[in-house]
Parts: sequence; C-alpha cells; structure tokens
Amino acid sequence: MSSELTRRGFLVGVGAAGAAAALGGCATSTSSKTAKQTGGKVTLQSDLSSPQAKAAMEKLIAAFNKRGGAQASLNTVAAETFRTQLPSYLTSGNAPDVYTEGAGSVARAYADKGLLLDVTDVWKSMGNYSAALKNLSTDSKGRQIFVPTAYYWWGMFYRKSNFAKWGVQPARTWDEFVTLCKTLKSKGAVPIGIGAGGTPGTPWVASSWFDYLDIRINGAAFHRDVLAGKHSFADPKVKKVFSQWQTVLPYFDPKGTARSFQDATTALVQGETAMMLIGTFFADAAPKEVLADIDFFQFPIIDPSVPVAEEAPTDGFFASSRSSHVSGAKDLLTYLATAPAQELYTSQSSGISLPANPTAKDSGTALVVKGKAMLANAADLTQFFNRDSSDALQPTADNALVKFLQKPDQIGSILTDWQTAATQVRSH
Amino acid sequence: MSVADAEVLAPTRARKRDTGAQLRRRPNRARQGRAVAYHLVVGTICALWLLPIALVIITSFRSFNDIAAHGLGSAPHSFTAGGYSQAWSAGGEKHAMINSFLVTIPAVTITLGLSAMAAFALSRYRIPLRRTILLVMLAGNLLPPQILLVPVAKLSEVLGIFDTLNSVIAVHVGFGLGFYTFVLQGFMRTIPTEIQDAAIIDGAGSIQVFWRIILPLSRPALAALGALSFTWIFNDLLWAITVLRSDYRMPITPALLALQGQYVSRWNMIAAGSVIAAVPTVAVFLRFQRHFVAGLTLGSVK
Repeated sequence: MSSELTRRGFLVGVGAAGAAAALGGCATSTSSKTAKQTGGKVTLQSDLSSPQAKAAMEKLIAAFNKRGGAQASLNTVAAETFRTQLPSYLTSGNAPDVYTEGAGSVARAYADKGLLLDVTDVWKSMGNYSAALKNLSTDSKGRQIFVPTAYYWWGMFYRKSNFAKWGVQPARTWDEFVTLCKTLKSKGAVPIGIGAGGTPGTPWVASSWFDYLDIRINGAAFHRDVLAGKHSFADPKVKKVFSQWQTVLPYFDPKGTARSFQDATTALVQGETAMMLIGTFFADAAPKEVLADIDFFQFPIIDPSVPVAEEAPTDGFFASSRSSHVSGAKDLLTYLATAPAQELYTSQSSGISLPANPTAKDSGTALVVKGKAMLANAADLTQFFNRDSSDALQPTADNALVKFLQKPDQIGSILTDWQTAATQVRSH
Repeated sequence: MSVADAEVLAPTRARKRDTGAQLRRRPNRARQGRAVAYHLVVGTICALWLLPIALVIITSFRSFNDIAAHGLGSAPHSFTAGGYSQAWSAGGEKHAMINSFLVTIPAVTITLGLSAMAAFALSRYRIPLRRTILLVMLAGNLLPPQILLVPVAKLSEVLGIFDTLNSVIAVHVGFGLGFYTFVLQGFMRTIPTEIQDAAIIDGAGSIQVFWRIILPLSRPALAALGALSFTWIFNDLLWAITVLRSDYRMPITPALLALQGQYVSRWNMIAAGSVIAAVPTVAVFLRFQRHFVAGLTLGSVK
C-alpha cells in the first residue's frame, strides 16, 4: 500500500467525509427535533438573571411541575440579551413559549403584529383581578394578551434616622417640598439624589421625574397622549413640566448625571443625599441592615385639581403565538396568576413588590403596606416612560433629560431636538 | 541610542547584563540615567495598566453589603470569598466553564488540523487558482463577521444545529480557517524545499511528508496559533449568544453577562466571576507566553 496521496484518492476521501458529515447532520437534526417533541415542555424564557431572582423562578417552576399535568422548563438569559433578542425569539421557528415582560405598550405593539398568544381563556380564572390590570393586559382588538403577576411603585425614598437628625418632615405639596429642599440644603445635605449616569449607565431613571411632573401638572391622560405622539414634546404644556422642574434643580445632586442609580443608592444610604425618587427595586442595592430605616413619601401634589395618578410598573408574562404548546403555556400562565404562585415568588425573591392577585398575601412590611395603600388610592396608574411608549423612544428621553440636568438653560432647543428624535423613532 | 533601543526590545536580557559586573566596571552616568527614566516610565504605565485588574480583584473579595454601604470606589471594609462561591455555583459558572472547554478544545483542534492540511497543500503544491484561494481567504478576514450574524443564526436553524454546542464549534472553525490557513501557509513556505525533496527521494509520500516533516517543523507556528485561537474562542461572546438559546448550554462569557441583575448588579460576585472566567486564558497565556509574541510576527517575513 503506497501512502502517496493521489488526487482521485483524495477526492474519494473528501467525498466520503462529506457524506458522513451530511448524514451526521441529518441524524442530529432529527434527534433534536424529536427531543423537542417528546420533551413537550413549555419553555419559559426569563430575564430575571440575578442569582436570587433566578432561584425564586426555579422554585416557582418546580412547584408548577409538581402539580402534574403540563411540565415547564426555565431558560434564563441576561436582561440585556433578552431585551435585544426578544423580537427574534418571537419570530423564530422554534420559539420559547412564555416570556417575562413588562405590561404596557411594548406588549401591545407585539400583539398588534400578531406575535402574541390570545390568553383570554386564562383571564377567565382571574376574575378577582382589578379592572385596571385587565385593561392594561388588553390589546387594541380587545383580547387579553398579558398576565400580570406583580407590580411595584415609585416614591421619594429617604432614611428615617437622617430626616430625624435634620429635624424635617416628608412633604405633601410642592411648596412643602421646596421648603424641605431649602432646609436640607441649609443643614449641609444634598437634598435630591439621582443616579442618571455612571457605568453601566442608568439614564432612564431621570424619566421618572419627567413622568411624575407631567402626570401631576397635566394629568395621566395628557401624559399618555404625549408619549403616544399626539402632542409634541415642544408643546407649551410640556415646557411647563420643565419650568416646574427648574425650581428644584438647584437642589439636585450635581454628581447625579455621573452616577448610576446603584451608586446614588449608596449616597442616600450614607446620608450624602437626603432623598431620591426611585422604584422599589433599589432596595436590592441597599445593605440589608439599612432597609428597616428606609421610608418614602408620595411625589408631592402640584395641582390639587389634577386627579392623582401614580407610577406602578407591572410585570408579568406573555406567550408567543407560534408556541407549539398552547395548552401547556396557558396552564403555566394560569398557575402564575394564582395567589399561591405569587406568594411563593414574593417570599423567595429579594425585591419589594406587590403581587398582582388581590387575594395573594404580600410580604406585609410597613413599607409594602404604605406603598400598596398609595397605589390603591390613586385615580389612575401609569407604567413608566418606556412601558407607556416604547423601548425605542426611551433613549430619546434619556438624551433630552440628561442634557436638561446638565444645561437647564437650553431647554428650548432640547425639547425641539427631542421631538425631532422621537418623530424619527416613530416613523421606523 | 542603540543601548536604549536594545533595552526596550529586550528588557529582561538588558537588565541581566546591567546588574552584572559589567556596569560597575564601566560606570556610565548617561546610561544609568536612561535606565532610571526607562524603569520609571515603564513602571508607571504598568501600574496604570494593572490598576483596573487590581480593582476587580479587590472588589471580588468584598461583601455586597460593604459595597452597598460604602460604594464601589471606597477602601474595602470586608474580606470574603463568598462572591466566588456564589458566582461558581448559584451563578452557574461551573457549568458554563465546562461548556466553554467543550467548545474551545474541539474548535481549536479541528481548525488547526484542517488549516494545517490546507496550508500544506497551498504552500507545497502547484494547485490551480492557489493565489485566488489565498486571496479569498484573506478577503474573508477583512469582512467584519458581525454582518453575518443573522444569516448564521438562520442557517444553523435550517441545518438543525441551532442551540447546540456543535453549532458554536462549526462557526468558530468556519471563521477561523481562512486566517489560520493564510498564516500557516506563509510559515510553511519558509521551510526549505530541500528537506521535503530529501524525504521524497527516501520514498515518503505526501501524507508522510506532511505528518513527519512539515507538521513537526511547523510546531512553533501551530503553538502560537493554538494559543491565540484558544483565547479568541474562549473569550467569544457574540457567536455564542447568536447560535445558542438555552441557558445551560451557554459558555462562560454569556454566563458572566447573565450575572448582572435586571436592575441591581452584585459587583462582588460579578468581579469574582470575571476573575474565574479569566483563569483559563491567563493559564494558556503563561504556558505559551513565548509563542504569543512569536505569533504576532508570524508569516510577516518570508
């Protein structure tokens, strides 16, 4: 046998190797397909990737699987990856079935494209949910496409011991708020903390100020119209929001656009700043022993004639219309909507949130009781800037608001630029 | 001037000579001054270079409560290895590390094996369109691979290998082949043909020439490319998240990304996870340090 490599021998060898590879390809492709069918598990694609939230989700899925019937598997990806890949998940052939998502116009936009599963059946088991939540979960065609499981609130958070030390009280009205800022400044504290910068940047927290000032001055309905593009960001009514904001801007943390909200939380904990408008998720960034010392007050009332609305971002799940496990996905959603499931999740995860099911018990801490009461008394609830508009519009707000915090005198041009950017985003 | 240049080029050798008796025998002020300035500048650059790494290591040994109470930039008030165990078990890095090796080792072996064969043929035989093949391979490297993200994802779905580790291996082999073949054929061309001629006269066939002559002589090039491709493939994030979806199949880099929370990130755990993820590549680098430098100039001289 000669080991000389002839062209013919070489080609035969390559052909054989190629054929083997092709056959192997067939084998793996069929086996992977059958695996998917025989497994028959409902996949839940989750962006709750922090180890604690992930562990809570794993317990929840384990509890669902223990009931017998449809089985589910959890697939956790980083929040950032999830956000950018969600459109391709929803349009791909072998898509996951159920997804974590925030309620609001993002979900509705997917529903309008026909990508979401109609879960009106699931809502039949959710008769005790509030009409507001049902409304929030309904798309433009009147179908329910979303199952809310938890919500949280935003407020002016502060340390009780620091407020006692400075001898100040929470503010209820705007005038009281301005006086409070003045007093705090005279005591040597930075009155208002914010974390609208840093790495990784969290410029989106600045939108909470825009949202709250707008719903306090112009009302929630106008706010939604602005976000939907029915009014310009350069509208005189929007300008009023910023002139109001300017009256307290001198009390803002000058380092606020260079800090992430996580660093801003540390500044609040250390007493460098006195209060901060933030969502309850910030509690995860605070040392545990400080949590008992933290309290909040409602964003001050500016115009008493405007019905009081609050920001109450709602989290939950939706399912893909391409799901091959429709009944299993609906079973899972039905389970996630039950009180025991939400109690299990609330008790296992670290964050402060309220279960969406009215009969589910919350964690019952003083903070949670107060937050729940505030939202229950609100005449209207908004989600948050991006959830009420779109994820694509959020960066335009980030640019405009951070620029405003840095150069408030340029507000005229900032607002016209914002409107231009928003028009561009919406035309895509 | 020549002395300073020599020191910059080969600092270790120069230093060894300086510390010897030679320096004491011929004291040279200008030369000493230059050495001091050189060490000062290089020392400062090294310190600046190492500062972020030191910060990551210090952060990885702090507790999260300490970071939350005092800030990321403060002096540490705690010492714990809790971040490491959290990242390793709860964060899923243990599993991800296994996946990374399952991808990297076959990918490196297959790429180097295939491109060594291709390079052998292209450098040693008069193959029609040889130059065109090489140019196409080079041109392929000039294209940013990112423009192929969507086609690759769709293709792997059509082939039924989407969301399998095989698809990641296939992608790395495919994108690596061109570059490694190009570099290796440049190296193999420098091996004198006389050696091959002698072997052929002695009765060796093509396979024997390849296996017993060319491959052993290409060892430096293969080692350098092996070390480089190991780091590239091990550190890849883009392709892994393009062709994989299930969390338990993700290699170490996406797993590191997933340690970030939706709102709040536990920096001590993320820092510890980064240190863990860096260990294999650092180990490979230390082992193949010599070849790394050689790899940078590989194929540049013909």
